[in-house]
Amino acid sequence: MPSDDTIYAYAVGRTRALEKRLLEKSQIERMIEASSAEDVIKVLSESDYANALADLTDIYDFEKVLQSELQKSLELIKSISPKPELIALMALRYDVHNLKVIFKAKYLGIKSDLIVPAGTIAAPRLQSAVDEEDFRDLPDRLRKACEMITEGFPVSRDPQLIDINLDQALFEQLLHDAKRLNNAYMEGLFSRQVDLINLKTLVRVKRMGLDREFLKKALISGGFLAHDRLTVFIDEPLESLITGLSMSQYSELAAEGIRDWIDKGTASRLEKLADDYITGYLKKGKWSPFGVEPLIGYLWAKEIEIKNIRLLMVGKINKLPSEAIRERIRDVYI
Amino acid sequence: MTELGLEIALLGAALAVGLAGIGSAIGVGIVGQSAAGLVTEDPDKFGQTLLLQALPGTQGIYGLLAGFIIMQQVGIIGGAPLNLTIAQGYAFFMAALPIAIVGLVSGIYQGRVSASAVGLVAKRPEELGKGIVYAVMVETYAVLALLASIMILFGIDLG
Repeated sequence: MPSDDTIYAYAVGRTRALEKRLLEKSQIERMIEASSAEDVIKVLSESDYANALADLTDIYDFEKVLQSELQKSLELIKSISPKPELIALMALRYDVHNLKVIFKAKYLGIKSDLIVPAGTIAAPRLQSAVDEEDFRDLPDRLRKACEMITEGFPVSRDPQLIDINLDQALFEQLLHDAKRLNNAYMEGLFSRQVDLINLKTLVRVKRMGLDREFLKKALISGGFLAHDRLTVFIDEPLESLITGLSMSQYSELAAEGIRDWIDKGTASRLEKLADDYITGYLKKGKWSPFGVEPLIGYLWAKEIEIKNIRLLMVGKINKLPSEAIRERIRDVYI
Repeated sequence: MTELGLEIALLGAALAVGLAGIGSAIGVGIVGQSAAGLVTEDPDKFGQTLLLQALPGTQGIYGLLAGFIIMQQVGIIGGAPLNLTIAQGYAFFMAALPIAIVGLVSGIYQGRVSASAVGLVAKRPEELGKGIVYAVMVETYAVLALLASIMILFGIDLG
């Protein structure tokens, strides 16, 4: 009898065609070797980005093109998916990003144009929600976090309150929804993302010399690595964290990424490896002929591609050597 | 006095045509959806995907063939309906079962393989042949079932 999963037949068929238009390794390589940002744009003009770039008058406006491409992809996949609510989870992160920007503008007077259009709720509506302190439109856990911020911030005036509360609430919401929608694949994705964020937090907190109490507050729940397993490392050298993780699924990533962080004092290698790790996880579902996996994988691939283009453009504009750019370029999904 | 043999034989014919047809309809339907998704982005793939969509359609034809032979043998087509005994009726009914059951299930699964092959064609259009081979592997069992049905049908003693 036909099982329920064939409802994705159309969406997966269409995603296969979309996947083919993602940038290939060789195109990325050509952009790494390009001599200027203009040359990067030239390579992109021969790709699926050609139309979007045709209107680009100033290369410093490339970010707008990337944002609108990301938004278009999200909307397209949402529109062809038989369960758009699953796809919407992939966009919730952008709502949280926008909320952070809006809260910080309101409370700290930080002006920024970092609002991204890819969220599930339009930015002006988020803005008025924050202005009027009325968060009814938000999912439960985010609403509670926003209420906590509006009540807590005027008292404590602690900017960390905004970031920590919202990040915590985001993943609680995502994991809750993935479970409610019965999707173990996405639960696995979010749990892994939580672990990777927690690992980065741990290293960062240690390097800043902050204490265990702060770490406990900053760790996000819902990952595979238990919090007490992580907090013990606060009083130990970072090397012991690498050994401590050697039996976990993050052993390679920790060995290379944290080592690099210790040696060079920058997280960029770990950030790259963390993204590659997620790409590796999502690739496992790529060939599922009927299911949401290829759709999620495609969206992630698009996000990574856009991240790569941003790295290339910023790198070329700042005249970084090709090697320095190549180190940070994320693995491609296809 | 007429016995119920003829009715039982016709029930077999109906099942052969009906169940195998359902299998094909579902199978062709799945591939069609998948193909429409691909062709939305890449209209040039219409011909190749149409070929893949046709593959799970054969079970319905096999079912019709078996049903047709039963109808002919019992005289529904081209002659006067025979007065079959109940045992003879059941023999026709049993003969219909292989293609009815296997046609239903293999049609659906062939559809799933063909829909996956649509994904293959999206990435590597030159490998269409391999996609077809995978789908045709499922076909084997529909052919075997048809063979069994026909052998039983021609072995039924109408004397």
